[in-house]
Amino acid sequence: MAHRKKVLLKVIILGDSSVGKTSLMNQYVNRKFSNQYKATIGADFLTKEVTVDDKNVTMQIWDTAGQERFQSLGVAFYRGADCCVLVFDVTAPNTFKSLDSWRDEFLIQASPREPENFPFVLLGNKVDLEPRAVSAKRAQLWCQSKNNIPYFETSAKEGLNVEQAFLQIAKNALAQQNSAVDLYNEFPDQIKLTNTQKPSGGGDSCAC
Amino acid sequence: MGDIEEVFDLFTQDGVILKQAQASYMQFLNSLGTVYINEAKTDPRERFLEWKPNDITVDSDMQDQEWAVVNTIQKRTRTISGSLPSDYSNRLRSLRVPFRDIKSFKSSHKNRELTVYNGQGDTICIFLFQTNCDHMAGHLKKFMKVVPSKRDRNLYYVQDNTLEIQQLTKSFAELNLPTDDSGIWRLVRNFQTQPVETTFEAFSKVTTLMYKTMDKKEISDHDREALNKSITEYGSNNTTDFAGNSNDYEVVATVPELPVRPEFPRLKPLSQELWRDHMDFEGKIEDVESVKNLIFRGGICPSIRKEVWKYLLEYYPWTSTYKERQNLAENLKDEYYKMKLQWKTITKTQEDNFSDYRDRKSLIEKDVNRTDRTVEFFAGDNNKNLNTLFEILMTFVMYNFDLGYVQGMSDLLSPILQLVEDEVESFWCFVGFMKIMSSNFDIDQAGMKEQFKKLQELLAFFSPNLSNYLNEHDSANMFFCFRWLLVWFKRELSQDDVMRFWEVLWTGLPCQNFHLLIAVTILDNEKEALMANGNGFTEILKHINDLSGKLDIDTIFNKAEGVYHQLKNAEHLTDNVRAILGLPLAPSSSNSASSSIAREMSLASDACASNGSAPRCSVENVRISPDENSYERSISGSYL
Repeated sequence: MAHRKKVLLKVIILGDSSVGKTSLMNQYVNRKFSNQYKATIGADFLTKEVTVDDKNVTMQIWDTAGQERFQSLGVAFYRGADCCVLVFDVTAPNTFKSLDSWRDEFLIQASPREPENFPFVLLGNKVDLEPRAVSAKRAQLWCQSKNNIPYFETSAKEGLNVEQAFLQIAKNALAQQNSAVDLYNEFPDQIKLTNTQKPSGGGDSCAC
Repeated sequence: MGDIEEVFDLFTQDGVILKQAQASYMQFLNSLGTVYINEAKTDPRERFLEWKPNDITVDSDMQDQEWAVVNTIQKRTRTISGSLPSDYSNRLRSLRVPFRDIKSFKSSHKNRELTVYNGQGDTICIFLFQTNCDHMAGHLKKFMKVVPSKRDRNLYYVQDNTLEIQQLTKSFAELNLPTDDSGIWRLVRNFQTQPVETTFEAFSKVTTLMYKTMDKKEISDHDREALNKSITEYGSNNTTDFAGNSNDYEVVATVPELPVRPEFPRLKPLSQELWRDHMDFEGKIEDVESVKNLIFRGGICPSIRKEVWKYLLEYYPWTSTYKERQNLAENLKDEYYKMKLQWKTITKTQEDNFSDYRDRKSLIEKDVNRTDRTVEFFAGDNNKNLNTLFEILMTFVMYNFDLGYVQGMSDLLSPILQLVEDEVESFWCFVGFMKIMSSNFDIDQAGMKEQFKKLQELLAFFSPNLSNYLNEHDSANMFFCFRWLLVWFKRELSQDDVMRFWEVLWTGLPCQNFHLLIAVTILDNEKEALMANGNGFTEILKHINDLSGKLDIDTIFNKAEGVYHQLKNAEHLTDNVRAILGLPLAPSSSNSASSSIAREMSLASDACASNGSAPRCSVENVRISPDENSYERSISGSYL
């Protein structure tokens, strides 16, 4: 296991424009909600110190622009992510339909070590609003089809389920990081040293 | 790979992207794969470096500082597995490099990249590691006899041939250049230790050459190119070294100095009086340049801003008369309402069957509701101005359906509407602004990509230390300036400041792309904070985002204009920078070697004659030319 003094978990929030990515991040980190958030341009992040499984970790939560056109920016931001949070608006069916492409896009651009095991968490946001267009069952079915992604129904406005969802996100991110480190630590076992040559010194004949 | 061969792995590492290789491996470039060190049970045993792609292909460039231009519309349908065409997998299944072909290798980009060289100055391949290449490099060092380069601690020469290794260690960068004479290498070496003296010495030799040996044979183009390249690389390597990493040597004065920055105090805003003074009896603006100049120096007085913006944004031509403007306004009003009627009369069924339209409409609805709601003009529920904002943007969709609506546009419209108020006039002013900005909203983001590149080039010229630092810390892509450039600092400034900021930029003075010089200025102001604590992309982005609300535009304009004059008057200004700023290209920059040498010479002697201070010298501009032997012979005729 890794024994880094400070564990940093990088979490990326993705989803269509206006599903509540910025609001969820701010509700979780600052416990605030505002109707006045502007559309995110580029990307930004907030950090929060949390305790997960008796471990103090720093979550770095990245909020990105939702318009498809800006996805090509992802390359710069997705790198090194430990967990990806997909968000849709339960009152807007199109935002649910986009989930597949957000997930694929993330896997392509972040290219995690083991794409099939990379942790995603799905949030169905705006449950405080009516009328509801995507049922919990439909969302859960989608999650099952994607290797059992955890699903939470949230309201960033009312703070509903936000804390619980991010705790799960942190747990999964931490698990991902640990498994990645385990993989890394296995390297020495895989290397078979057969004929070790030592480099001989004094080869540099440059006369400066 | 027809024969069955017995191979066993000495080392493997996955999560490795092939960044560069021979053309025949083109289809694997930027794909993720696994790298191996293998040994074949042949006699004698042969070892090789091998890379095999995973099944997942990635056609966007994973790490490159460049943009991955992603056509997201196509991507929506793409899956991430099984996309290697079968005929490819049958032909070339992996990249295999025998150890005997590897002459040197180097790690870079915080050890995330490993480059393998063939000793002929060519790259065999470049790997990008998702983690880092430390393990890989460590094992290469174990399995091959290597010696570290004295000049670059990340570069290792493979020591399997004494003759070659001598050539290699003498070579300047990692290039294995022909070394038929030691003189050139001495010269090159001396640039490190005594750059000033060496430059002068080189100039003196050039002088001798010019006067005495013009008829001597030229060294081949290939050699000259290689030498110039090695010197350029040398220069950049070293400046990067002293930007951050400690090293056993330091290079001074490889970066030429810029002229002293002149001060450009801001003036008062263009007043109503002055504005009227510039208008003749018919209402035409006389001496447009002078008006623009006044606006550039101080902005516009709020009382006439509404009027003057219509000229700046090309709603009115500067030289139109009162009467012409009246007619124009009527025509444009008609045109606007025609377009507005087009979307206003779309029926529910039409809309249901017109997804491109629906998507645009829905994006506008979402964004209008969150545009500048803290500004009084747009605050509160059921604000009618929000509706006007919506209607203008919808009409713009009909005006330019292909461009449609992209996030950021509502930010560009909001101050215009707030000032101009009238719906039709605001629309046409917005159209004028979009003429300047539309490439920022390209579907493939090509316009933004281009701007990042230009910004990077300007920064590299003006602030090389910062630029090198960004290069070494995964930040050369300049993505952290995205918000600045997309909406011209709209999110960084108050509504009042934004108005003044934009009107100054709309004058197009003092040069094109002045907004990029503003970005360079701010980055330069923040340079120490940006480079502190080994900041990487994340910290840099945060710092830049946190500047929102803290920028003083008068100070920035003052400095940015000074920066422009510094660049314009810099003797070593490159054609690249000239092109970005719209300055005329250097007269003799093409390939007239003799005139360029003459220029260098006069430059050097000027610097010498004027004040005896450190001469301006640029390694890039020194041409190692015609004949090495004459260098050697003229060495006695010392310049200093």
